[in-house]
Amino acid sequence: MNAISPAQRDIQKAAKDFVAKNIIPRAAEFDKSGAFHSYLLDAARPSNIFAMAVPQEYGGLGFSPLTQALVLEEWGYGCAAMGTTLSASILSMESVLIAGNDEQKRRFFKPMLTAGIGAFALTEPDAGSDAGAGVATAVKSGGDYVLNGPKCWITNGGEASVFVIFAATDPAKGVKGISAFIVERGQQGLIMGDREEKLGLRSSNTVYFFLKDARIPAKNLLGKEGEGMKIAMMTLDLARPSIGALAVGLAQRCLDECVKHLNQRFPEKTYPGQTLQFKLADMQIAIEGAREAQHHTMALREAGLPFSKESAIAKTLCTDVAMSIASQAMRLMGSHAYAGEFGKFMRDAKVMQIYEGTNQIQRLVIARSVLARPKVAVSAAQKAGAK
Amino acid sequence: MTYPLTEAQSAIAQHAHEFADGYLEPIVADLDRGVVFPKALVAQLGSDNFLGLVLPAQSPIAGAGFVGHIELVEALSQSSAGVASIVNSHALFAYALAHWGSEAQKTKYLPALAKGEKLGAVAIMESGPGPGLGPNPLLATRQAGGYRLDGVKTFVRNAGAADVYLVFATIQFADDGNGLTGFIVEAGSKGLTVGPRLETMGLRACPVAHLEFSNVVVAEDDVMGTENCGGVIATQLLSVGSVAEAAQTVGIARAAVKHAAGYAGHRVQFRHPIARLQAVQTLLADIVTDSHMAWLGVQHAARLIEEEAPFEPEAAMVKSFVGRFGSKMLIDAVQIEGGMGISEVAPKHISGSYPLARMFRDIAGTTLLDAPADFTDALIAANVA
Repeated sequence: MNAISPAQRDIQKAAKDFVAKNIIPRAAEFDKSGAFHSYLLDAARPSNIFAMAVPQEYGGLGFSPLTQALVLEEWGYGCAAMGTTLSASILSMESVLIAGNDEQKRRFFKPMLTAGIGAFALTEPDAGSDAGAGVATAVKSGGDYVLNGPKCWITNGGEASVFVIFAATDPAKGVKGISAFIVERGQQGLIMGDREEKLGLRSSNTVYFFLKDARIPAKNLLGKEGEGMKIAMMTLDLARPSIGALAVGLAQRCLDECVKHLNQRFPEKTYPGQTLQFKLADMQIAIEGAREAQHHTMALREAGLPFSKESAIAKTLCTDVAMSIASQAMRLMGSHAYAGEFGKFMRDAKVMQIYEGTNQIQRLVIARSVLARPKVAVSAAQKAGAK
Repeated sequence: MTYPLTEAQSAIAQHAHEFADGYLEPIVADLDRGVVFPKALVAQLGSDNFLGLVLPAQSPIAGAGFVGHIELVEALSQSSAGVASIVNSHALFAYALAHWGSEAQKTKYLPALAKGEKLGAVAIMESGPGPGLGPNPLLATRQAGGYRLDGVKTFVRNAGAADVYLVFATIQFADDGNGLTGFIVEAGSKGLTVGPRLETMGLRACPVAHLEFSNVVVAEDDVMGTENCGGVIATQLLSVGSVAEAAQTVGIARAAVKHAAGYAGHRVQFRHPIARLQAVQTLLADIVTDSHMAWLGVQHAARLIEEEAPFEPEAAMVKSFVGRFGSKMLIDAVQIEGGMGISEVAPKHISGSYPLARMFRDIAGTTLLDAPADFTDALIAANVA
């Protein structure tokens, strides 16, 4: 267990209160309409929480990764769609934290200080799990780069003040020819599509957009030409555990709602038998294990140790647990859940297994690490068998 | 053991698939919106002889029975599991009437039910842990010539659309005992109010609402079976219903895996269709395997029901199996289609139809427990050896 300091506990408490007051009461309404929950940005502005990942020297709260996770778990408990708006904005910031210079950081983080949000745009219609297969291009032209190409499934895309967009400066080099750019809202040639109607995380804004001769000043290049994919992968490593934190919150909410309902429907005198007790215990075991895996990843990151594998594990474990708990809770609660607001949790969890790298892609990362580990002597027979 | 269909059952299955393709597929999105009850569709189901399959004696199709009904439900569910829910709720009423109804009741209702001139529904649940135990139970009080019903039945399928309900009410006796009794109550009875339509996650073609009874008068002749045998009837109906619901689960899963396999065959990532990736093959294989196992269980239980043999443990096993694997099949099918899988409306830049989000919402509604958690396990365990 990673001990949580009194200061972190205070932040956790403040997040819990904010969620109870501002998120839980309106989550169902926005889930139903699918409209972006813009009121949330106003509500969050005084606390500066949208700048929790912005370093203090840039005016942000500079929360540690674990502290951020504690906040995100609370937001996931309240509404994973609203939590996604926050975590996806932090995702875009991570790229700038990794590769941005001082001026770029100052510029990119400025909107966050007033509850503005960012968007990270890597995915394209033919480049989903195969992130390197994109066709977007950036051609140097004088002091600018001219960007062309489609981007899809972009979280926060329609609402963001700032974007990190990936495009090939040298398509011949494949993934080594991709570069990352800062793009600001209102950029000419950045043409927004409609928001997608999704199964879950409905009020989290997701759009398709395309770039048509969008002239971006060269000073907006993040890092060097060709470093884009490296930046993207490092960014996703950093950001994936945040999805885990949201998912843990969502899973805990499902269990809490389930217990609340069962207590109501099967009150004290019919104290649950072992069948139900053990099911509930298994659900809490899974949630607690996922939470610990998530915190462990944060601890590694804070200690400056490698955490790529753990990051993939945290995202996969937490979102798979959330999906499974939501589904089990739905079944146990029966029609009450099916005809009520509970369905949202199940729909939200499903999307989380897919976005920010499907759980299949995470498993590839994890398997690579598992298979690379033991360098024990292999017998001739085993070698032959392996062929 | 195999599960061959008779000629008549095959004909039903084929006809049902044609009906699903011809009538349901074009309007699945409208049905999913669930704003209007598909009255014309039900009439069509009736005139196609689909609504009396559980009534061998009255059915216009010789040899029809519960197996035929299961074929219908699975076929409908491949397009619209919500329409299958309408049919299932109706069929449970018909099943109860055929087994426990008086001759007068059968004469009065069965022909109309079989032809789809009347739609039936069954109301078992209440807000408490069981009938008569929670707040607002439905209570039946004896009075001259019959009974008076007061209270609430919850989550009634076909509510508001049905012409006639089978409702289970508790009679409280002076000696502190009580008994559950089934009553036939016509829609429009004085004092019967259908609550607002509830927003279900899926199966939205089928309306769900609470029924409120306030001094609803029913006659002695409207008792199904005898006083106090309602518990036996309700338990059997839940058991039969769980097999029919599992047939919905199977139908949805089969349609989903077919769609996901088609998608995987076309979606190119890493230079090849993703169907060539073992990770995707494994997901497809798991869904096909689980849906096949569920299908075997459904077929077996359906035959026991049709043969009037003891079937409760087998039905409980089917319920347990789809409870564990039902939603998982769509969780995995949606995963294969990624962003397309979670699209409620196909994105503008994409062609084709993407029904998996709806199926994901639908299948969860076919595996609900709606009973104490040990309900099925205890029954199965008690029948070991």
